[in-house]
Amino acid sequence: MAIVKTIGLTKRYGSNVAVDNLNLEVIEGEILGILGPNGAGKSSTLLMLSTIIKPTEGTAEVGGYDIRKNPYEVRELVGVAFQEPKLFWVNTPWEILTWHAKVCGVKNAKQSAEKMLKELDLWDARKKRANELSGGMKKRVEVAKLMVQRPKIAIVDEPTAQIDVSGKYQIWEMIRTLRDEGSTILLATNELNEADRLSDRVAIMYHGKLRILDTPRNLKDSIPGGDIIDVRVASPLDARIMSEMNGVVGVVDLDTVKPTHLRIHLNKAEKMLPEIMSRLNQLGVVVNSVNMREPSLDDVFLHYTGAELDESKASE
Amino acid sequence: MHQYSILIMRWFFVVVQIGVFGLAISRLVVVMDNYYYYYAMGVIVMTMYSVAIFTGYEIYDEADEGYTEYLLALPLTRRELVLGRSLAGGIRSFIFMAPVIAGFMILIGIVNPLRVAAALIALYGFAFGVSGLSITLAVGLRSGDSFDIVMGALDAFIVRLSSALYPIAFMPGPIATLSKFNPLTYAADLFRWSLDFNVQYLSNPVTAVVVLIIFLATFNFAGVAIYERNLEGGAWK
Repeated sequence: MAIVKTIGLTKRYGSNVAVDNLNLEVIEGEILGILGPNGAGKSSTLLMLSTIIKPTEGTAEVGGYDIRKNPYEVRELVGVAFQEPKLFWVNTPWEILTWHAKVCGVKNAKQSAEKMLKELDLWDARKKRANELSGGMKKRVEVAKLMVQRPKIAIVDEPTAQIDVSGKYQIWEMIRTLRDEGSTILLATNELNEADRLSDRVAIMYHGKLRILDTPRNLKDSIPGGDIIDVRVASPLDARIMSEMNGVVGVVDLDTVKPTHLRIHLNKAEKMLPEIMSRLNQLGVVVNSVNMREPSLDDVFLHYTGAELDESKASE
Repeated sequence: MHQYSILIMRWFFVVVQIGVFGLAISRLVVVMDNYYYYYAMGVIVMTMYSVAIFTGYEIYDEADEGYTEYLLALPLTRRELVLGRSLAGGIRSFIFMAPVIAGFMILIGIVNPLRVAAALIALYGFAFGVSGLSITLAVGLRSGDSFDIVMGALDAFIVRLSSALYPIAFMPGPIATLSKFNPLTYAADLFRWSLDFNVQYLSNPVTAVVVLIIFLATFNFAGVAIYERNLEGGAWK
């Protein structure tokens, strides 16, 4: 069941179209990763869904409420962790979390804040001012607001940008926990690994438009010949073998990296592998090793946008 | 520590203004009894204005620090946000001036709780309205520089074209007329009336109450409307 549904959602800043006629549905209980470079329209979309800014055209329903007609009701359902942590410099993590919990109507605000600060290894830093915290600590406090609030719909904007590896894992775990405890998560990111690891489904946005939306698995499978099977064989491959292998149903393309190294492009490689091996065996080919790999979300991004995510980041 | 130093410096300024300049100038004024008290009460109300007007600057500070987005995402109505900020701006001005007000009341021997309460309500109502005015201008102007200029101009006119430092009866005709449209006139006169100052130099207290209510209601509700229109339109970006 869709808990968020955008209908022709559009945001323009002057002549710049940040979000262009966006139509997407977010299923209750999922983590929807919104993947795209800076300037793709991810943040503007999330700002509209959280009623922080108004759409120029179109609308969205969040938890059954229209963001234009019932913004207050929407805000009661939504919690936001911003890309840049919103911590007033003079406040401490303790003050930030207890105040946030109280404003969001959380019962036992102090107990919730204490529990979260302890779980996130922030207890010892609870009395430090926000401007004395490290970047990683600030990010954790920002996401901890959501953990204290437990919103029905959590919006998380690039939660691990400029965070070290251990900090990333900790924040990913927080997001998963939030989902497991009943929140629906909208995760904006320009990190492929993050989108791939966390998301149940991924929406690719580019230049304000939604290019594709599906599970990471289906997205990868949607690239024609996106999977690759590398087969290393004992003796050089001849034209007859190449021709026979090319005729196997499902093989999109094949070539030789070396005379004894066959590269097969296909879809759903994990299902096709037994047939490939069986055919090679029938042809009398002695196989030394097999290596199978699937396309990355970067390949998917390239396929649907014509740009590599890193390149498009650099060009923004 | 920095904030405490600023606070102490400002108190010092108010005390010097009342204690030194006020005493000196009151000796020159011979046509009016107790001009010293009139002047001191006017300085207190003027300082309330100067402190409350800073509420608008916070909006720019918050936008600069990206904090506005957070406030807009909270489960609060825009009305609650603006009125909450105005009420808090009034309270902060009040806390800032509390030692000076208390000291002054002790100095002039006002102990009647009803008079004290009336004086404090007059001051608070005015500070609440000024906070609303400041918010309205801050969110309406959209630029910190424009806000600075308008605040500077407003400060120059609102103090001079009011009865804060001299009664309307002693002003030249056109200035007296303009002063009658100035909420600072009514706040200062209501404060003086509450503290039992000679009524012949003051505006009618009922008129003063009505003007202050209209002033605070107008600018707080204008603030709500403009805040919603401009900030949700993305102007804070």
